[in-house]
Amino acid sequence: MSLQKKCKFQVNDLNLFYGNFQALKNINMDIHENEITAFIGPSGCGKSTFLKTINRMNDLIDGVIIEGTIKMDGVDIYSDIDVIKLRKKVGMVFQQPNPFPMSIYDNVAYGPRVHGIKKKAQLDEIVEESLKRAAVWDEVKDRLKKNALSVSGGQQQRVCIARALAVEPDVILMDEPTSALDPISTMKIEDLALELKNKYTIIIVTHNMQQASRISDRTAFFLTGDMIEYGETEQIFNNPKEKKTEDYITGRFG
Amino acid sequence: MDRRKKDGIANFFIYASAGITVFLLVFIILFIVIKGLPGITIDFLTRNYEDKTTYVNIQLNKGEGGIGEDGYLPVLGAYITVNEQKGIALTKIDKDSPVKEAVDGLGEVYALKNKDTLTKIEDTAIDSYEKVKDSMTQEEYLKNIAEIFSEYAGQSVKIKVVRPGGGIVPMVVTTFYMIVLSLLIAAPVSILAAIYLNEYAVKGKLLNIIHFAIKNLAGIPSIIYGLFGSLFFVQILKMQYSLLSGAMTISIILLPTIITTTEETLKTIPNTYRESSLGLGATKLQTITKVILPSAVPGILVAVLLSVGRIVGESAALLLTAGTVAQIPKALFGNSASGATLTIKAYTLMKEENDLTTACAIGIILLIIIIGINISSKLITKKLLQKKGA
Repeated sequence: MSLQKKCKFQVNDLNLFYGNFQALKNINMDIHENEITAFIGPSGCGKSTFLKTINRMNDLIDGVIIEGTIKMDGVDIYSDIDVIKLRKKVGMVFQQPNPFPMSIYDNVAYGPRVHGIKKKAQLDEIVEESLKRAAVWDEVKDRLKKNALSVSGGQQQRVCIARALAVEPDVILMDEPTSALDPISTMKIEDLALELKNKYTIIIVTHNMQQASRISDRTAFFLTGDMIEYGETEQIFNNPKEKKTEDYITGRFG
Repeated sequence: MDRRKKDGIANFFIYASAGITVFLLVFIILFIVIKGLPGITIDFLTRNYEDKTTYVNIQLNKGEGGIGEDGYLPVLGAYITVNEQKGIALTKIDKDSPVKEAVDGLGEVYALKNKDTLTKIEDTAIDSYEKVKDSMTQEEYLKNIAEIFSEYAGQSVKIKVVRPGGGIVPMVVTTFYMIVLSLLIAAPVSILAAIYLNEYAVKGKLLNIIHFAIKNLAGIPSIIYGLFGSLFFVQILKMQYSLLSGAMTISIILLPTIITTTEETLKTIPNTYRESSLGLGATKLQTITKVILPSAVPGILVAVLLSVGRIVGESAALLLTAGTVAQIPKALFGNSASGATLTIKAYTLMKEENDLTTACAIGIILLIIIIGINISSKLITKKLLQKKGA
């Protein structure tokens, strides 16, 4: 059933170098719309690096060379679209909850404001809608003017998700979004991800294999810059084709 | 030697060094306060430094001439007394005294104050009592003076008034001007430079060289900057000894400090702020103005406040660029723009007049300013950090 879903990203022959070090080797994959795609693999395998190529965050690092193409809806994101527009379409949630040191309201309104929305009524609406979608509205609606750093880590992370949603992206990249959170907050974020995939395409990097198996539709396994195996999550976890994948998910290394 | 003894000796040196430091600090502060305190008077805080001579017209009261026993002069509506060097001094002025409506040569009101000295009435010079003390008593002297005034009772007379100086008002004003002007030049330039170095510059050899140069600039003694300033600003740019020459020179001295401190502050701002802002589609400039700079404000403010301390304390560079004249500068540059700051005046007072009391009194004022700056920088940091919720 999920196979029929539209393809959002097409990655062709992607290579990435940090100076002389090759961090990604010849990656080819399709990422599907309205699905959760999980990237798993041991530390340093390139999964986060790959995630960051999708909204061109690697551009910020000196000395990065990227070869090959990534197409979003058929458009090459490295040559045919302005990076600002790309990042508006492809939001990102980071490993550590990282709200700006300002109020919850200003955090969520930050994106719309930098894109030129100034009307108070419109901003109010966006902030409320985004916080509701991020399932944190009820918990913070009485303290929107409070500093975002004053709420709990799990709430901060959902405020960060709301901040990403506020610019109306199509895609949300999540870089180990629950690794700094307790189990209950983790559960809330996972439920939220499942809820959000109806409207957005979600790509999540995770260290936690159970998490990948719980929430993702497809899983890609990375090892030292190679994508070893990519397929439907059920198949990857129950019936991996590659020996290395099996070794990793059964906990033989990693 | 056993371990106990070693510890004992080490401890002795540690305590002794700490003790010496505290003792010196307390001693210096006490020295300045004890020597300077007698010099701090209302006059010192409110008066001009130089005596000021003015001709004024006064409409004297009619009627009774003569002088009261306590020195009251009815035609002036004020008490007078003998002045040491010249003329007579006003000691107490009636509320409706005509000297309060004295008018200067430009037709503007120049109300006389206590301690103003009258040295000439129309064309009659008022000799000092010193000159005539062999031939008459003080009472007789004052009576003579009263008679001169009585001749003009009810008339408008031209009187030469000397308002005594001895105050630090011009130096306080010059110091204030110097602080504002230097910061107006130095702060924006160095903050922008720090932003460039931390946010835009590509890391590499060139950046290392720039950093090395900035560190070394911070270590050059200020007299070198003073020499440069006096050659470049004062002479080549023909600004003369002036407020602007001084402020420009000080700005150069401040650049490395503010740049370094601001850069350190920018470095402490987590990279995730930049990443998430850019990740939301903000431009680099938006990221800097909306996220980075607001987070850096406490650090930048502290850098600026510490610079104020540096400006207040600067002497060598200003000596060569802003001059030593005790006046309020009347322009930014040119002939009448020279002015001495408090520190410069303290220096010239010791060097040229050997006036330790006044120099120390200025020292007390400087101490108060510096302590005030340090307290406010603490308060600002505390308050802003609270606001940030960190």
